[in-house]
Amino acid sequence: MSANLSGNDGLRIIETGSVPKGAVVINGLPDVGLVGLLAASHIISSLKLREVGAIESDLLPPMIVLHGGEPKAPFRIFSGDGLAVVISETVIPGSLIRPLANGLVDWAHGKNVRLMLSLGGMAVANRQDIDVPKVFAALSAKELEPQLHGAAEILEEGYIVGVYGLLLRRCAETALPAITLLTQSHYNYPDPEAAGAALTAVNRILDLKVDVSELLKRGEEIRLRSKDMMHRTHEEMNKMDKSHEYDLPPLYG
Amino acid sequence: MSTESRANTAPPHGSGWNAAASCIQPLYNLFVAAEEVVLTVDLPYVNQKSVKLESPTNDSFEVYAETTKRITFHDLGAKHRHGEFTCYHAMIRMPVPVDEKHATRKFKRGLLEVHLPRTK
Repeated sequence: MSANLSGNDGLRIIETGSVPKGAVVINGLPDVGLVGLLAASHIISSLKLREVGAIESDLLPPMIVLHGGEPKAPFRIFSGDGLAVVISETVIPGSLIRPLANGLVDWAHGKNVRLMLSLGGMAVANRQDIDVPKVFAALSAKELEPQLHGAAEILEEGYIVGVYGLLLRRCAETALPAITLLTQSHYNYPDPEAAGAALTAVNRILDLKVDVSELLKRGEEIRLRSKDMMHRTHEEMNKMDKSHEYDLPPLYG
Repeated sequence: MSTESRANTAPPHGSGWNAAASCIQPLYNLFVAAEEVVLTVDLPYVNQKSVKLESPTNDSFEVYAETTKRITFHDLGAKHRHGEFTCYHAMIRMPVPVDEKHATRKFKRGLLEVHLPRTK
């Protein structure tokens, strides 16, 4: 089964299994501190989610990734327990961000997705002095705030650069409920502790029981394994001027 | 530490894993402030006592640290690659002149932070 999303620059979502109607989509894409990717990967392994699809585009590098000896697309969808988790094991080029945001939202509408939950990092300069990273939430609509159950502080003002920013706007424009969780993290170092804090918030919001301790216990190994991915992600973040997120919006209310 | 012996340990072809020298190139970041340059280096599997810093030339800074365990590609899931690693090494070019003699450092959660005063 394949969805060729017309008008989205050749983005193709190829389904090899079923994504249930009314699921919650969790996005774990490579970004600041790889927070989302690490957290989403941990959800996939903890809940033993099944691979149900891949996202392909001519704008992605021509590559596959081998897992257990099987060739896989680096950009995949996993599902189970009423969730659809989207992860990418390759850097998302800037040219793909708009078609990806539009394509994912169109696809989610087709699946009657009830919530789009995106996980990312928010770089802070003194990260190593913070014992428990704070989680902030940007919402597609203010009415979603009760769904946070106090797990995150509302982000009122600021910029979000990259795919999560465009996803949130597209969701708001098309009335798809969306929450973007941004957790205090290192900028260009993989941050499993921040991923753990993000997962704790996800557990509260979705009433899940994903065990975070294993992620924290294997923190050093995860940092080392993710080093190369972080390096490439950092290069792409520089290209898209991710540092814009440190800026203050000039308008005032 | 022998600076000369490590001068040739730069990983080939931009790879961060130099199996020949058993050294990993760490992720690092430089921030140039008005009065100082702040260098941070991510060093998982490192005890702070093994971290060595040197300034071999006026415009470079060298970080070397032994890992607390021998790390292999196999440990990291890449069974087709051979190599084991016992250290990190980075030779970092300073964008402005610094006074390395008055550098201060801290090490927390495997992250090294070095403050290098800028020379006037």
